[in-house]
Amino acid sequence: MTQLIAGQLLNGAIVGTLYGIVALGVTLTFGITGIVNFALGVFMMFGAYAAWYFSDTLGLPYPLAVLAAVAVTAAAGLVADQALFRFTRNNLVNGLLVSLGLIAVLEACALLVFTSTPKELHRVLPGIVMVAGLVLPKMKLVVFALLLVVIFATYAALTRTWTGRAAYAYAQNPEAAALMGVATSRLQTGVVVYSCGLAGLGGALYASLYSLEPTLGSLFILKAIEAAILAGIGSVTGALLGGVILGVTEGVGSIYLPLAFRDAYGLVFLVVILLFKPAGLFAGRR
Amino acid sequence: MNRSIVAVLGAAALGVSLAAQAQDVVKLGQIEAQTGTLATYGWMGYQGAKLAIDEINRKGGFKVGAKTYKLELVSQDTRGNPQEALIQLKGLLEQQKVKYVFGPFLTNVFNGIEPYATQNNGKFLMMGGATAIHAMLGKPNHEYLIRTWNWDAGESGFGQLMVDYLKKQGAKKTAMLFQNDAFGKVAVDIYSPIFQKAGIDLQIELFEPGTKDYSAPLAKLAAGKPDFLFPGYTDAVLYDIVRQATETGLFKRFFLVRGSMGPGLKNKDLIDDYIAYLPKYFEDAEKKEPKVKEFVAAYKQYYKTNDFPYDQAPLCSSSCYDHVYMLVQAMQKAGTVDDVAKVKQALLSENYRGLWNIRFDHTGEAVFDFDVLHMHKGGNITATRVNPH
Repeated sequence: MTQLIAGQLLNGAIVGTLYGIVALGVTLTFGITGIVNFALGVFMMFGAYAAWYFSDTLGLPYPLAVLAAVAVTAAAGLVADQALFRFTRNNLVNGLLVSLGLIAVLEACALLVFTSTPKELHRVLPGIVMVAGLVLPKMKLVVFALLLVVIFATYAALTRTWTGRAAYAYAQNPEAAALMGVATSRLQTGVVVYSCGLAGLGGALYASLYSLEPTLGSLFILKAIEAAILAGIGSVTGALLGGVILGVTEGVGSIYLPLAFRDAYGLVFLVVILLFKPAGLFAGRR
Repeated sequence: MNRSIVAVLGAAALGVSLAAQAQDVVKLGQIEAQTGTLATYGWMGYQGAKLAIDEINRKGGFKVGAKTYKLELVSQDTRGNPQEALIQLKGLLEQQKVKYVFGPFLTNVFNGIEPYATQNNGKFLMMGGATAIHAMLGKPNHEYLIRTWNWDAGESGFGQLMVDYLKKQGAKKTAMLFQNDAFGKVAVDIYSPIFQKAGIDLQIELFEPGTKDYSAPLAKLAAGKPDFLFPGYTDAVLYDIVRQATETGLFKRFFLVRGSMGPGLKNKDLIDDYIAYLPKYFEDAEKKEPKVKEFVAAYKQYYKTNDFPYDQAPLCSSSCYDHVYMLVQAMQKAGTVDDVAKVKQALLSENYRGLWNIRFDHTGEAVFDFDVLHMHKGGNITATRVNPH
């Protein structure tokens, strides 16, 4: 039993980083543009299919396929921003409606192009790692490590570069930031594109672990928003920790409680946390 | 002047002719999930029906009595949502005046539309594959129902025959891992007594639909040391379950009553046994059966693809394809396109030899022959044809 729990703690943390990478996009976009971009889930789906296409259809090596998928998803994010999201800045309802519309359109397009037959990437890194009786697929550990690196690199960039500080400044006081010379429009576009790129990265790495279907993003965006709220919107490391907490809660909860209600465990946990810390666990921290 | 009169009369005659042709169309409704996680059956069913309808129309339609009719498919995407399906069914029956409806294949969708459909008993015929339809067949006010899929239980039930096959493989304990949804629960109700009767222990875990990571349930089930894993009912979950179960070495033997060979073949080197129910092993049948070969070629041409979905086609596409032809034959035999009771009677008397050999029993449930496929380590497949007729 101890092994089973330890295994699920570790597995939950790994799955949680996937929630975390999308949650990071959610929290950045909300902080800078004032909208909750539900469409980040479909950008994740876009990245996943792009990685599958570049790797399994065009035959690119997987690392190159991931980079290409991130680039294509970020480009798609730029198009979406210029065509749609820039008209919804700081308007929560309009932003929400546009992102929901985008989900419907992109999911339908994915269904037309890729059909409902699940796509499965070849095994990028087969094999398992056994540590003290715990069995973990190698690829899961690689995905975990990569996502941690990207999340902490984002944190470093936000706290140690001029652009990052400008983003924080803008999130706290847009008028003052603009008066201090921050190119607000470019900053907002940059954040939307970067968030889409992060979602694309999450999708491309997801493709190496799970099968792909057009609706895969819908589940992840809900978890990501849950993780972002749990952590407290605006916290970068909090997004990661929120995702990990959610993943671990689901994994360990599934051992003791009926598996059929796994998604509910995270939500119950979220409600309990919000009762005591209404702004989220790490609100106010970077 | 004469020329003008001829032109006017000609135009009038053409108009009358077009109007008559416009009336001679039989509308076939379809309510299936064509998007969403449970879309495989509906999407394939839509493709099969569309292909058959196109073939019939391109040949000039079909004759019933002295009239020639063409078919028109009015297909709706339920997305697996019963509320949407109900609105769509109302639209089909009340606005489109459809008398023949294909679908639904999903139990939750059927449960949602059943009360409304029952109110309209006698006005239309519904040919659906949903498991829940089984319980309604033969009940008063449910004459509109025909079930287009083999039933699992009973002496000639495919599920019963599959479990018999499993027992011959020496199975003493099996772990069932299914979706916690309407069909998942029905499957548990169907298979628990079948396994019990066969003397095979059954551990059951239901998971939340939409789950992608199965590490927890697989580890939990593996702790009970079952001989076989009996996982979910759609490829959308099977690919992930089989991959994760084999990758971690938790399970090497699988038993399926729904879903395709695809997940097994993808992981063939890590699997000892992968036993699956398949109405038609297309890869094999294409080589041996001319009708199947023609169907595969027609599918590729119509959908402009070189990739025939071998692992998905048997799930529904080919059966819906056959069902369109069966329905046309039944209308011809009944001598009417409007009297649904007569058409149903004619359908029940058919013994159709298309891609599949299909007949309906007296309740209106399909009985067709099927394959038990057994994939061994490395991907070698043996197929056993089972004829429950």
